[in-house]
Amino acid sequence: MRWTTIKYFFREAKTSLGRNRLLSLATATTVSICVFILGLAILLFMNSGELIEKLESDVEIVAFLEDGLTLRERDQLEDRLKRYPGVLSVTYVPRDKALASLENKLGRGDYDLLETLEGNNPLPDSFRIKGENPREVAQLASALGKMQGIAKLRYGQEVVRQLFAATRWIRILSIFIVVFLGIAAVFLVATTIRLTIFSRRKEIYIMKLVGATNRFIRAPFFLEGVALAASGTLFAITCLFFGYYYLVENVQPALAFLPLITDNRVLLNLFLSLAGAGVGLGIIGTFISVNKFLDV
Amino acid sequence: MLVQMYNVSKTYSNGVKALVDVTLKIERGEFVFLMGHSGAGKSTFIKMLMREELPTRGQIFIASRSILRMKASDIPQLRRSIGVVFQDFKLLENKTVRENVAFAMQVVGAPPHQIKTRVEETLKMVGLGGKEDCFPSQLSGGEQQRVGIARAIVNHPLIVIADEPTGNLDVDTSWEIMDLLSEINKKGTTVIMATHAQDIVRRMHKRVIFLDKGTVVSDSVGEIA
Repeated sequence: MRWTTIKYFFREAKTSLGRNRLLSLATATTVSICVFILGLAILLFMNSGELIEKLESDVEIVAFLEDGLTLRERDQLEDRLKRYPGVLSVTYVPRDKALASLENKLGRGDYDLLETLEGNNPLPDSFRIKGENPREVAQLASALGKMQGIAKLRYGQEVVRQLFAATRWIRILSIFIVVFLGIAAVFLVATTIRLTIFSRRKEIYIMKLVGATNRFIRAPFFLEGVALAASGTLFAITCLFFGYYYLVENVQPALAFLPLITDNRVLLNLFLSLAGAGVGLGIIGTFISVNKFLDV
Repeated sequence: MLVQMYNVSKTYSNGVKALVDVTLKIERGEFVFLMGHSGAGKSTFIKMLMREELPTRGQIFIASRSILRMKASDIPQLRRSIGVVFQDFKLLENKTVRENVAFAMQVVGAPPHQIKTRVEETLKMVGLGGKEDCFPSQLSGGEQQRVGIARAIVNHPLIVIADEPTGNLDVDTSWEIMDLLSEINKKGTTVIMATHAQDIVRRMHKRVIFLDKGTVVSDSVGEIA
């Protein structure tokens, strides 16, 4: 392709952007809003995903031991538990420690819990067991419960079930919303580009009649669409970037139980993908409109 | 032979029969009038030469190339060999006279130095020397049509198709435009002109193809059916 032709494409795109200033602004704003909402949604879902993962990995089985196990029996049991398929880790919690942590949870007051119980610790020794897959905790628990030496198993059955039902729906919903937003953005961009093309249909008709190739006619529109999408995307990402870091710096300390993602590599990937998605929106949107209107 | 039509029929999807079994030939260098009442098929005839429409039946050859068997990617090449002049001029209002004519060369990828000299040459030929930097709105109807003609011939086409080029002009201006088209024809370009203007057709004394309800009812020199 000739250099003068390429210069012509850029000049045409620039002229058109200047001439249809309001429409250009509308397109860039549309892309900007779409990318912003998309980014916001993804950040929200990534962070809730992080939270879900944290909640899920907290799921564990507590196996209370029968009274009067010998040290050897206990070691053997621990060994068997550790070797059981699907078990990730096993931690022994002696009864004194269990009482201490209970005391911690209740809040240390002026009293001594052990004293209140008249020296009788009612808690048994136990193992804290983490499974490899938190979702299979129910099966794992029922299998382990049959082992000799274990008196009782606890893993918060009902809570776990509800947690997993909720997280599943949140994941499905987040994918649905992101896909929906993407489609909406494509059509918004397509519509605004269509308006630009419509305002230039006479020009396009003349180009066709004097024998311009389709590629030649399309090129300036693509440049225009990409330029608009890119500037809109840049603006949205800038807003997201500063907004998110403000959140991390100022809100995170106040809500410590919410684990916000601060891994720069993850965030950089997100912003780069958003940039790609924004420009992609521009290209797909332009493609839809241009092809529909250039069919002379 | 420049244009050959064999048993060409065109029926639109709404059932309208625009052309019915038209067979004719147009030689290189001819000047041909296309006449007929509104709806007689003149526009369809022209659109088929431009390959804006395809015939429902029959064959059309332009410079020995079949319009029907042409690949989509070859259509621009066909159109570069045809210049079109419109009744309503179809100039770009936001471009100057020079830019309007240069536009036709830019879009076919001509090199800049060639565009510059050829545009100047052509504008001088159509009598617009000195008006290069005017915008269409600053010109009279006749002058605007000259820009339209300059744009049609600047790529040196084999055929110039003029669709009622004098339809919006007064009598004197119409004759100026006809003189210009004759001059272009004398230089060897085939001219096909659709028109309603009977006195122009009579005085030019050229071949007249008269269409009625999609069929050719007469095809002879200087006679109007």
